[in-house]
Parts: sequence; structure tokens; C-alpha cells
Amino acid sequence: MIWRRTFLSLILLTAVVMSACAAPAAPAAAPATDQTAAPSEPVRGGAVVVGTPQEPGVLNPLLASSSIEDAISSLTIEGLVQVDDQGNYVPVLAEALPTISEDGLLATYKLKPDIKFSNGDPFTCADVQFTVEAILSDLSGASTSGYNRIDAVECPDDLTVEVYFSEVYAPYLRLFSYIIPRGAGDLTALDAWDFNRNPIGTGAWIVKEWVAGDYIEFMPNPNYREAGKPYLDSLIVKILPSREVGMQLLGSGEIKALWDITEADFPALESMAAQGVSYAGAQTGENELLLFNFADPAVDAPADASANPHPILNDVRVREAIQLAIDKQEIVDTLLYGNVNVGTTVIPNGTFACPQPPSEFNVEKANALLDTAGWTLGADGIREKDGVKMELKITTTSGNLLREQTEQVLVEMLKAIGLNLIIENVPSDVLFAGWDSNGMRKHGQFDILLYTTGPFLDPDSHLYQNYHSNNIPTAENEGAGSNYSRYVNADVDAWIDEAASITDVEQRRALYCQVAAQINQDLPRVFLYERLLLSGYRTELQNFKVSPGPSDFTWGAADWWLAQ
Amino acid sequence: MLEYLIRRLLQGTITLVAISIIVFGLASAYPGGIMNAYEENPDVTAEDYARLRAKYGLDEPVPMRYVRWLGSVLTGDWGNSFVSRRPVLQEIGDRLGNTLLLMGTALIVTLLIAIPLGVISALRQYSMVDTALTALAFAGNSLPVFWFGLLLIMVFSVWLGWFPGSGMTTLGKPFSIPDLLWHMVLPVTMLALVTAAGYMRYMRSAMLDVIGQDYMRTARSKGLTETQVNVRHGLRNALIPLVTLLAFEIPLLFGGALYTETIFAWPGMGRLFYERAVKGDMPVVMACVIIFSALTILAMFLADLAYTVLDPRIQLGKRKAA
Repeated sequence: MIWRRTFLSLILLTAVVMSACAAPAAPAAAPATDQTAAPSEPVRGGAVVVGTPQEPGVLNPLLASSSIEDAISSLTIEGLVQVDDQGNYVPVLAEALPTISEDGLLATYKLKPDIKFSNGDPFTCADVQFTVEAILSDLSGASTSGYNRIDAVECPDDLTVEVYFSEVYAPYLRLFSYIIPRGAGDLTALDAWDFNRNPIGTGAWIVKEWVAGDYIEFMPNPNYREAGKPYLDSLIVKILPSREVGMQLLGSGEIKALWDITEADFPALESMAAQGVSYAGAQTGENELLLFNFADPAVDAPADASANPHPILNDVRVREAIQLAIDKQEIVDTLLYGNVNVGTTVIPNGTFACPQPPSEFNVEKANALLDTAGWTLGADGIREKDGVKMELKITTTSGNLLREQTEQVLVEMLKAIGLNLIIENVPSDVLFAGWDSNGMRKHGQFDILLYTTGPFLDPDSHLYQNYHSNNIPTAENEGAGSNYSRYVNADVDAWIDEAASITDVEQRRALYCQVAAQINQDLPRVFLYERLLLSGYRTELQNFKVSPGPSDFTWGAADWWLAQ
Repeated sequence: MLEYLIRRLLQGTITLVAISIIVFGLASAYPGGIMNAYEENPDVTAEDYARLRAKYGLDEPVPMRYVRWLGSVLTGDWGNSFVSRRPVLQEIGDRLGNTLLLMGTALIVTLLIAIPLGVISALRQYSMVDTALTALAFAGNSLPVFWFGLLLIMVFSVWLGWFPGSGMTTLGKPFSIPDLLWHMVLPVTMLALVTAAGYMRYMRSAMLDVIGQDYMRTARSKGLTETQVNVRHGLRNALIPLVTLLAFEIPLLFGGALYTETIFAWPGMGRLFYERAVKGDMPVVMACVIIFSALTILAMFLADLAYTVLDPRIQLGKRKAA
């Protein structure tokens, strides 16, 4: 154990030195405290500058392809139902969450009355109809998941929306997270809409000026439904060269909030606590995880892993031994300063949370398991079986300091069970490339991957895409699906299918929890720790919240104000 | 002369086409691209994915895509950005001016520093001044530019707070020339100091070559003042090699735009190119490459023309007599 501690402290030292290079040494401070003084009366007026290292290309959800576009467009565009900072679905333009019929084929929404779009047009059921039409139109770039099962949207009156489904869409609550007004434009000329960069919406903010590459300035929507809001006069989204520069500007107060920081920024954040910097995080349901390949990486995208088994990882005892040898808590404590939860389950939080018992850390047990499995320790300290050495490649996105440190810790931890882990990282474009670009995940050319994914709010599509045997990428299905382990379990398939055919939340949760438990037995993936969606902010900015939904850090923007 | 112009124009066009083929091929061969944005989203159905690929024209083989791209460019249609859906020329038009402003200023400042210092260095060869300037030049040349930029931001923007470290204007203030100049100080300093070092050395050696020439002695002997000799006969001849160098430096300057703009969040073409290359926005990437290349070819051509003005011995378009 002593050697491991020494090793970890070395890594830690490297991290400190590197972060010191990235940011000027700040005085050591007390750990970050959340906003203390409870705000009393909102102060009106003032401008707030928020920073983002990425510039949105469009603010039209029909064309958006990145999270910053979703977040910024949420300033103007609202939906019937959205996700709040706690990860719950809440009605926004609807009076309440929709009611669903017994057979799950009719969802009924009641709309809030007297709502106007920023251009003065009234918001009615016809806009909901138009939104579906727009999403399903030829030029749309939006996900059609769920909308493609809508037969018809009926408007008995202006404020009632009846959505008829052709088949049950279990995660129906995620639909209509944005509304495209009828007046947005002609759907056959979608790419040329003014709306794309100057959207019309019901939200608190509208675009005043967009200077490409520099900033986007927002002004209050004169037709916003809540009188007196937003409190601020102006909101400016500043495009920054990098996250590092953003951290410095946050410290100096030039920006009041910084979008999309990561767990790797915790040390810098804590050192800036004295300068009034804090952070807000949302649980996204994602895990940083290890993904094992069940199939032989030398075979291109085999449909059946059992016919082309991975020489080492196809044996569940090996996968279990790997999990037993990993001290997840130590990774969280040393690399993440104890600020996140250890990974235990595929659905860690949200409406469908399925908590599972944490995995055991037991090197002796791991070694015993490998002995039973026939892997004997060689003279060089590496196990072997039938002339195969226990050597595995681990691959993650290069240039990600936290992931690279995690890999180094894993190499040391797995040495203790005679497994030689070899780090071989690639740029994220290469790791996440699609089937046609010869993506290594899609074609199964890896041993172990380290990256983040998870079910977000509703596990339906995530579990289906990642664990259902229908979704093993092969030449036959042109590489569709994300079941990169090539994991097959008939029970899991059946549970996922059944949960997709019903809308009752309790029944669905029970089925998903069976899936979660089975995954922890079969171990196609090992969950290391739960990820957070983080943004930094200055404590004078009130009501700054982060939602795990599309609106992200702009979730509270109508209520933002500046304490003196 | 006309024949020469036509020949150069043809050469330039062929070069541009070759560059575009290479860049298009390389960029297409790199895994990922715009479709990566949809890979991790489980709610993007297989049909959505296929529809989007078709919309971006990515469902065709690369040679077909290239021919299609070339065809529409020849008709003047540069396509729409994958990221913003705006016409590519509009995207670039928003930024080209900013880049030319930054690079032009940096170039002028560079020359204003390098030429006088290089000349002084040469005229006072081996003096204290020369030694000091030489030392400075070597220091400047060996500075990693990227790091130097970050250092400037840290010292002058974060610690001292004298100059802004990013952007072109102060947010929330109306546009004003002094504000713009104030924002230009750090990026221009970074570019100018680092490139001036090299130019100064070239200027010094060019001037040294000239000083020993017979015509300098002739000029002196016909009674011109030392300043007249050095400027009219010395500097003018010494500038010729610098012009070549300048032409070759133009592409480097655009390269410089890439990291200067990225470090200082300058909304120019370099930053646009970098951001869009990362996102796989092919129409914008290709247009940037073509524009950079065309400007480079133009710069080389202008350098050749400038020779004739500076050095009457050179005549364009005439083959050397055997």
C-alpha cells in the first residue's frame, strides 16, 4: 500500500504543478462554500457577462448539434415540459405535466393562458402542431425519437393539446422540451431562417446583437409572461478562447459565470473560493466508466462475441477480478477531491434511479478468482494462460488530464492482480468516430475504453442503445447502436423491451432496476464515478442553477440578479 | 508582361486546385467530423442519422463530394456552414477584416521595429548596441510564441490589469477606435516582437552585404552625406532580400493568426478556421484554406513585382539570354 500512496501523491503533485502552470498561483483558501447570505429582495438592473469557450452556431433547436446551442437557445425558447435543476420534469408552458391515457396512446396537455411570443404573436395549440411538423420536416436536424410515433396532434381548443401516438412511447415526458412558433418561417427554407440566429420565443431573453466570434448580447423579452422579470437589463454571452482563460476571468470578475467546467477544475475552483468563486453542479446520470470488449479485437465488428471471444475479457471472472482490484473510493478521494459519488449503477439518479450496492475492493479475492479461472502468475509478475499474457490496452481521449491520471492509477491498481494494463490513447474524434469513419468503438478494435456516458433523465433509449443485443454495431446494420461490449443477455433484452411498451413509472423503474442489477453481474462495464454537469459562477450572481436538461446553466436566467 | 501575368495566373490556379484536393482528401480521411456530434446521443435514431448524413452530403464517396464542392465553388457558391447554416462567405466576411487588421498592424509594427534596428546594428557592427540587439533577437527568436502570448496575458492583463487579454472591444461599451487599439496592444506585441527578431537579423546581414559594395564608395565619393548614402543607396538595396522574405512570411503570418486569435479570442479567420476544423465544418474549412492559399500566392506574385521596382536589373517575363 505504501508504494501506491507514494505513487498517488506523485500524480497529485504533477496535477498541482500543471494546474499551477495553467492558472496563476492563488492564495490558499477555505474550501468552496455555497452561497451563504440568503438573498432578500432582488436588485433590478445591471448587466451580466457569462463566458463560454464554444460559440453556438445556431440558436434554433431544430438545427442545434451541441450542448452550448441548447443552453443558449433556452434563454429565448421554452418548452411545454422542461427539466429543472433537480432533474425533475416540470411544466413550463403547460399548466401541469400531461395526463396519459390508460393505453398510453394519448397525452393531453393544458397550456398556460395569455402567453405571447417575443414578436407579439399569441402562443396556442397550433404552435405545438407546428413544432411536430417542423421536427419531422425534411431539413430538420432534430432528433425525431418519439415524435416519429405521433399520429396526430389535435387542438380541441387553443389551450388544449391532444397528442395521439401510434405506439407507446414510454419516455413521453421528454417530448416538447422546445416550441417552434408558427411564425418562425417556411419549413422548406429552414437553413435560411432569420430565426436560426435570432429566435422568437416565450423565454425571458431575446437576442439583441450577435458579433460573430466575439459575443452575443441578449435583452429582456418585452412580452415575457412574468411581470418584472428578468431582473437584469442585459445578459452577454462572451466567447472565450479557452476554459483556462475563462477561469482567470471568473477569478477577476470580468465574467460572472463560466459554462462547462469539469471535475478536473476542482483544485482551481477551491483556490478561488476566497475571490468569490463557486460552482453549481447537476447530476446527469452519467458515469465515468470502463467498457470491456467481449469480442476478439482482431475480428472486425463480429455480431456474435461468443463465436469470436476476447482472449482475456470474455470470461466474466476476469471482469469481476478487475472490478475487485479497483479502489474506486481512492480514485474519487485523490483525483476528484471527494467531490463526486463512487459509481455503482447504470442509473444513479433521476426519476428512475436504481441504487445498487457499491462494488467490493478486495485484491485477495480478485487474485483468488483469477487463479480459479486458470490465469497463473508468470515470473515477470504478469499472469498468463495457454500462452496468452494478461495484457490489455486501455484507451481514452488524449489530452484529458483527469482521464490520463485515472489510467495511471488503474495501471498501478491492476498490477496487483498481475494484469498489465497498457495505455494507448487517441484524440476524441478518433475514439468517438462513427462506423463510416472506421470508428474504433463501432468496429470493436479495443480492449478497454474509458469514457463517460449514461441515461440522462429517462433510461429508455440509453439502455436500449447500449445494452440491448439489437444494438451491436455490425456491417449488417451499418454500425447502428452503441452496444460496444457486444453484450448479449436475453433477460436484459426482454426487460428493456417490456419497459418501452408501458408508461407507468413504477413498473418501468422495477424493470430498469432488474437491468441495472444484471449489468453489475455480467459487467460489460464498470462504473468508476458519477459525473457532474458543472458551471462556475461568482457568488454575487443570485439564482445561478444548472439543470441536467438541455437548458443547462441558463435554467435560472429569468431570475438572475446581482447582489451588491 | 501580359504573357507573364497569364502564366502566373495559370500556375496559381493549378496550385490552388492541388491544395484543395490535398486538403479535402486529408480532412475527409480524418475520422469524425460533423456527424460526431450525433454519435453519443441515444435519441438520434438511425433514420435521423442517415437523413443528416445525406443533408450534409456525407453519404457520397469522397471524390464525388470533392467534384460537387469544386463545381459549386466555380459557380461562385461556397455552400453553407454545417455549424451555423449561414453562407460560408458571410461567415468569413464577418471575420476576414478583423484578421487583416490584426495581421496588417502586426506586420507594420514588425517592420517599424526590425528595419531601423537592423540598420543600426549593421552600421555599428560589433559595437555594444549591436551585441545587445543580437542577444535580444536570439532571445526573441527562441521564444515559443504560444507561451509568450500566455505570459503577456498573465503579466499585463491578469496581474497588472493594463491591457485586456481577450476580444476586440470592451463589452457593453459602444465601439471606439481607442478601445480597439487598446485591445490590439497585446496580440500585436506578441506577433511583432517574435517576428521582428528574425527580420532584424535579416536586415542586419542584408545591410552588411551592401555596405561593402563599390557603389556605396562611389556614392560617398560624389559627396553625398552619410545619411543619403545609407538610405538611398544602402537601405534601398538591402531591402530587396527583405521583400522576398516578406512574401514567404505572409503564410506564416496567417499561421500566426491561428494561434494569436485563438489565445486572445480575436474574432478573426484563424480562430474561425480552428474552431470549425475541430467541428468538421468542411465548407468553412475549405474556404479558409483556399483564401489563405490564394492570398499567399498573391503575396508571392506581388513580391516578384516589387523586385522590379526596387531593382531595375530584374525584368519580368524575359528569358535570360543564352
